[in-house]
Amino acid sequence: MTGQILPAWSEPFVGSGGDALLRLPPLPSIDRGWAMGGSDGTGVTVAIVDSGVEREHPAVGGKLIRSVKVEPGTTPEGDPVVSDDPEGLDVVGHGTACAGIIHAIAPGADLISVRVLGPDNRSKGIVFAAGLDWAIRQGVRVMNLSLSSRSDALFGLFHELADQAYFANVLMVCAANNVPGNSYPSLFASVVSVAAHDRPDPAVWFYNPHPPVEFGAYGVDVPVAWRAAGRTIATGNSFAAPHIAGYAARIRAKHRDATPFEIKAILAATATPPG
Amino acid sequence: MSSENDRAGSRPTADATVRAAVAAIAARSEIAHRLELGATEAVLRSVVEAAVALFEAEAASIALHDPNRHVLVFSVAAGEQGEGVVGMEVRPDQGLVGYVFSTGQALAISDVASDVRFGRGFAQTTGYVPRSIVAVPLVDDAGTIGVLEVLDKRSESAFSLRDVELAGVFARQATVAIRASRVERDTATLIRTVISGLAGEDAAPGGVDALVAAALEGLGGDDDPLWPLVEQIAAVRRASPEQLELVTAILGVLARQAARTRGRRSAVERRVGFGGAASGQAGRGSE
Repeated sequence: MTGQILPAWSEPFVGSGGDALLRLPPLPSIDRGWAMGGSDGTGVTVAIVDSGVEREHPAVGGKLIRSVKVEPGTTPEGDPVVSDDPEGLDVVGHGTACAGIIHAIAPGADLISVRVLGPDNRSKGIVFAAGLDWAIRQGVRVMNLSLSSRSDALFGLFHELADQAYFANVLMVCAANNVPGNSYPSLFASVVSVAAHDRPDPAVWFYNPHPPVEFGAYGVDVPVAWRAAGRTIATGNSFAAPHIAGYAARIRAKHRDATPFEIKAILAATATPPG
Repeated sequence: MSSENDRAGSRPTADATVRAAVAAIAARSEIAHRLELGATEAVLRSVVEAAVALFEAEAASIALHDPNRHVLVFSVAAGEQGEGVVGMEVRPDQGLVGYVFSTGQALAISDVASDVRFGRGFAQTTGYVPRSIVAVPLVDDAGTIGVLEVLDKRSESAFSLRDVELAGVFARQATVAIRASRVERDTATLIRTVISGLAGEDAAPGGVDALVAAALEGLGGDDDPLWPLVEQIAAVRRASPEQLELVTAILGVLARQAARTRGRRSAVERRVGFGGAASGQAGRGSE
């Protein structure tokens, strides 16, 4: 022991390494004006991992800059294949609904659609995971996941992807599952997990200090975009998450250096007071 | 085979003993299968009927995943507008039901008809285009196995978040029923595995099928008088406890009479190998 060897991971907290820590603003000074005032998300790319996004839908505002689809490998052991989906299709309407909500809140943000609906039980978890992996590598700053996997067999893989995203400075915003039970990655600590409240106001979100579901956003009877240039009224945590993703994009556009953990703290600090 | 018999003399060989045991298990499994046939569907139907009643909905249905064909098949439905959907199929990567299946995410959608293309092709083939839908996944340990959907609450124009949760409770009931029937299917698979193990590596293609058929041979075909009896017993299982007691007493009388008049094990008992249990029951009933 020379005394100069630091325990693993301790460098930033010792000596001059500490400079890297002097950035976090004190929470009481944070309000929405500071957090996101004047920001429309310009410069931030949000990935929507879902059923696809309809590029020409008016609610998307022409901000869909790329669409890919993830399909199972051609052999049972083969890795899923990510390929461009130039048509910009949404096979359900759900992804377009999420994109429309994000665009309404952060109209400057660019959107990338990652379509991950697998055709069968065996492939769908793997396809979803491959979509997350691809999106993390694209350098997006926010990912909206209004879906999750229940596969305990894939717990490790999704946990690794959640960590990978966190360390790559990608904020994962995940809808909590509406029905009880395991769901990944929405129940992991590093993600922003969102459930629905029923106040018809997109600007109302709550912070819940009792994890795993830490945020509540508008998710009941939400008017949303749907496929074929349509619109519908939808209820579910699926539609709460993109509200938070939209605000996260605005915060990220204004505070470029903030990390996923800080974005979460800012979202908590600027949440609507309870009651 | 003859050389084994020579060695073993009149005693059955180990192979023959196992085959006989497997044949008996296969027979019991087939009877259990026939007894349960329709029971799972009956539970699923009661789930959708209860959902229709509770939500005051126009229809409710359950679509189950067929892993071999990668499609969701509507198995049961209830409500005035529901019947048309039974037997129809949707792909797991298409449409709202497919989405709920693929993602495990429960959803409620209303104002559906205002979107001219929303699943309308499918809805029209069922003869009914809903205004609002709540769809929840059926989730068991192995993952999502199907979807329960409820269409059009009569009292309100949309389903609430609480409705989504309530539908989830119904979905769990359905999942429990399906899991029970899956255990039974697993038994059948196990029997096939054992039989194919007995057949060994030399078994020709179709050899296992032949062995299964041989094991079930003693049961006779669909015209065997045993099967109406099994079906009646399956139906009686839904009777009240008082009715069951009565049926048991009647069967006890019949069994004693049969024993007296025929003086030998009935064809049914011999075929099924239930003779011991049945006469035991009758004996207890008479004391």
